This record gives sequence, C-alpha cells and structure tokens, in this order.
Amino acid sequence: MKLKTSYLSAAVIAAVVIAFPAFLGAYPLNVARSVMTYMALAISWDMLLRSGQISFGIAGLFGLGSYASAIAVMRGGMDPFLSILFAAAFAGVMAFALGFAILRLRAMYFSITTLALMEIFRIVMHNLHDFSGGPEGIVLSAPIFGGNSTALYWLCLAGLFITIGVSWYFEKSKMHLALTAIRNDETSARSNGVDIFRYLLVAFVITSIIQGMMGAIQIQSYGFTTPETAFDANFTLLPLAMALLGGIHSTIGPMAGAVLLGVASEWLKLKIPYGHLMVYGIIIILVILFMPQGLVGLARRMLRGSDKSGRKAGASHE
Amino acid sequence: MANKRNATMNVALITAVAAAILVWRPTVLINGLQSAGLYASIAIPMGLILGIVHIVNLAHGEFMMVAAYITYMLCAATGMDPFVAMVPVALVTAAFGFVIYKLTIRQALKAPELNQLILTFGLAISMTQLANLLFTSQTRKLSFDYVSASLDIGDLSFGVYKFVYIGIALLMIVGLKLFLTRTTTGKAALAVGQNPRGAAIVGIDVDRTYGLVFALASALVGMMGAVFITSASIFPAVGSPYTMKSFCLIAMAGIGNIPGILGASILLGVSENILKAFRGTRGWADIVFFVLIITVILGRSIRGKKA
Repeated sequence: MKLKTSYLSAAVIAAVVIAFPAFLGAYPLNVARSVMTYMALAISWDMLLRSGQISFGIAGLFGLGSYASAIAVMRGGMDPFLSILFAAAFAGVMAFALGFAILRLRAMYFSITTLALMEIFRIVMHNLHDFSGGPEGIVLSAPIFGGNSTALYWLCLAGLFITIGVSWYFEKSKMHLALTAIRNDETSARSNGVDIFRYLLVAFVITSIIQGMMGAIQIQSYGFTTPETAFDANFTLLPLAMALLGGIHSTIGPMAGAVLLGVASEWLKLKIPYGHLMVYGIIIILVILFMPQGLVGLARRMLRGSDKSGRKAGASHE
Repeated sequence: MANKRNATMNVALITAVAAAILVWRPTVLINGLQSAGLYASIAIPMGLILGIVHIVNLAHGEFMMVAAYITYMLCAATGMDPFVAMVPVALVTAAFGFVIYKLTIRQALKAPELNQLILTFGLAISMTQLANLLFTSQTRKLSFDYVSASLDIGDLSFGVYKFVYIGIALLMIVGLKLFLTRTTTGKAALAVGQNPRGAAIVGIDVDRTYGLVFALASALVGMMGAVFITSASIFPAVGSPYTMKSFCLIAMAGIGNIPGILGASILLGVSENILKAFRGTRGWADIVFFVLIITVILGRSIRGKKA
C-alpha cells in the first residue's frame, strides 16, 4: 500500500515536471535546466560515494563530455543528438581506462587524484589550440534543436530521468549491498566474496558516463564552451554541497538538496553578484558538523521519533 | 649497504642533472630554485599539521590568501613594509587558525577522514568567497623597490630577491627541527603525532597540542602570506593552487619528513621551469605538477602493495 502511494506520487511529480514548459517562460526553464544538470551531477557523485570513494573530479568528466561532444560535431560532422551518446560513451571508456589505476587508491589519495585529473584535462584542452580551440574554446554553428527552450528542457530532463533511474536501480539491486559493504569494511566485504575492484569500476564508469552525458547536453544546449567553463570547479563544488545538504547515500537526498540550493543560488546570484557561493561553503561546514545525515536524514529521524510504534532509531540499514 | 649505494647514486645523478641544467640554461635552475623556495615554505606548515594533527587541510592556501589580504590592508593603510607587517599578521592568523580549529576541525577529529576532507574543502570555499565578497575578484598588488634587485654574472642577469623564499624555507626547517626536538612542547607535539592515545596516557593534553600546532602552522603560513604579497599580485583564488601543490609535495616527501619537502619542491620548481624555458611548451608548465602528483601517488600505492 505504502509502496503504491510513493510510486503514484513519483509519477504525478514526473508528469508535472514534464509539463513545466506549458506554463513556464524561457527564463524559469533555463533555471530549471541548470538545477537539473546540477541535480544529475549530485546524484552521480553520491552513487560513487555510496562505496566510500569521494570524487573531486566531477567537473573533469563533465568537461570531457562537453569537449567530446563538441569536437565530434565540429570535426566529425556528427549529428548533435548522436554526439551526446558518443560523449557519454567516451567518458565511460576514459573512466574505464583510468579506473584501473586510480580505483586502487583510497580515501584522500583517490580524491586528490581525481582533482588532479580534472586539472590535467583542463590544461590539455587549454593548450591544444588547433584541436580544441585553446583558451578561446569552441563555438558550435547552432545549439541543438535550434535552441528551442522547450526541447532543450526536455533533453535535459531526459538526462536527469536516466540518472535517477540508474541511481534507483543502484539502490534496489545487489549493487547497493556490494557498495555499502565496501564502504563499511573492505576486508569483511572481500572475505564475503565481494569483488571490490569490479564493483568500484562499474560504479565509477557508470557515474562517469552520466557526468559526460550531462556535459554533452550542456554544451549542445548552449552552443559554446571554453576550458574554464567546461571544467569550472563549480561543477564539482555545487553538486557536492547539494548532495550533502539533502542527505548522502540516497537518491532523494541529492534531489532535495539540488532543488533547494539550485533555486536559492539563482536568487542569491541576483542579490550578491560576488561571493554568493560562500553560502555553499558555509552549508558544507554546517552540514558536516551538525547534520551529517542531511535534510533527508533529519526528516527520517523526525518521522521515526513521532512514530512511537516504529523501529529503533539505530536500526538504519546504512 | 645497497641502500647506501643507492643514495650515493641518487646524489651523483642529481648533481649531474643540476650541473647539466646550469651549463645549458642557468636561468632555469635559478628560477626553479626560487619557485621551489616559495613552494616549500608554503608546504612546510601544512606538513606540520598533516604530520601531527593528521588532517589534510584543504583550506591551507586560503589561510595564506587571507594573510596576504590582511597584509595588503595593513600596508596600504599604514605604509608599513610587509616584512614588518609579518609579525602582527602572523599573530592574527595564529589566532584565526586557533579559532577555526576549535570551532570546526576539533569537532570532526573523530569523524571519518572523508568528513574532514569535505569540511576543510568547505572552509576553503567560504574563505575564498568571503574574500570575493569583500574585495571582489580584482587583483591587487603592492610594489617595492627591493623586489627588482638583480645580479649580473657575465652576460647573465637575474633577480635575486626571490631567493629570500629559499632562506625562509631553510629557517622554517631548522626552526621546526629545533622546536620539535629541543623544547618540551615540541617533544609533546611529536609524541602526539606518533600516537595520540599513548601521549594522552602519559599525561599530554592532546587537544591543547593540536590547537597549538594549528596556531603555529597558521602563524607560519600567515608570515608567508605577508611575504608573498611582495612578489605576486593577489586575488581571492590565489591560494588554492598552493593547497594542491603543498599536498603533492608532502605526499612526495612522505608525511612527517619536513626537510624532504624542500627536495620535492626543487624537483617541481626546476621541472616546471624547464618547460617554461621554451615558447612551445610554456603553456604546459602547469601540467607538470599534476602529472607529478598522480605519478607519486600511484607509485606509492604500487610500492605499498608490493611491500
């Protein structure tokens, strides 16, 4: 019964979101697209985090996807829509190759290496003047779908739906158990027969595909990019803050965080043109110190507190 | 035995390479050493924190940036020389570091390492953005006559001022060595770094030591911030590359090996300047560092597996 209502509400929300272009103008749709992009990145970051690995390189794969798609269209004459799939596949292949080396690293060494990889991608794109346009970046002849804001919105939404679907599958399948086991204790996970490296590699490749795909959607929607915008550190920072605020190790947490912070930052950007990102820094600090489970965790605890017949608070499966 | 022969081989190799570079392009070696001094003197305070408190402070470069801005305001308002302003600025940043430690980092000491990493990342963003809010992203610069001092040897002319960074790095190494081995507080800090629980058992106040080390490291990086402004223009994001570089240098040297940081810095500084010496490769100089960091980390992990 309970399951049915949650499915029903998800379907209703999805229908409303799909119908947004019917009653929103171009500017709100644009804001919605940026929120959705960050949301997809936040979810993908969280999917890898469920195995205990913190990536600081979201922007790296995002930018790589942007460039793969733009160059495929510019130099290869590929269909823009096809180029998004190509970019996703390219990010996946890169992640697969890199994963063999960097997924053997743990904790801060993994995080720092992903950050360094992002910088390497950026510098390479910055310096390959003839191939990637160097610091001036790439300008496409036209954005995808002729820049029609409704179509662009639906394209971005499709990317987001794919992300949510994969993340949901991760939560319901064997993947969830394996990743949680790896996060909690690698030794006991291994002794129970979990192939740690294989699961990490699958998670890393899939999250990279998502990040590359969102990057490709971004560039095809705007029609131009530069190394500094494609590999903007904000694409690492904002999703991270969103997922933390909403609540990590879940799909719904990053989504809630992205809606809240995305809309708030759009508003703050108008009020405080310089330094509105400070809010993100402070949120990260406060959440880590006082609310490590995020808003969703807080809500869950409050629900449990009011529900006296419920299970013990500590019985969380996480 | 084999170890000793290896060490001699290494020394011989390094001397040979240095001599070759000196003959081929002396400016590469000079500029490389000068930037190495800067890298090392910023990285050493971070190494101190990492070695004793065992926290990767991703806001390290931002501490320096804050110190640089304080120096800027102080010097612009009073006409003070940064080398004089260094003292009050170090006191201010020491207090600032202590407060940051007490308010945030201390609360996360027991938390998983990842939480600490994200926490200091959040600190870094807040500090950069606060500077952005107060000063906007405009670059600021103070100029001094003595910075442009130069020396001519034959037909070679180069700036000598930046050698001051090597001096500061050496002073820090010697000073910290004396502090950690000769004073009671320093010995206690070293003991806490090796084994906090054991140190607590023999009656060392671990929390106080951590706070002290944090304040000391903040004071040192604050001094560097004051000196930094003499030779570079500052903007809110000026510190963040140094956080990464510092971490890389510490990882190369091995945690707890403070003199090693200077060696690693020289390697980084000289290799960067080799690329900067050619027009075609100048844009690629930044990549050296990132390639180096990944090589070092992967190399360590592979060697760790074999051992």
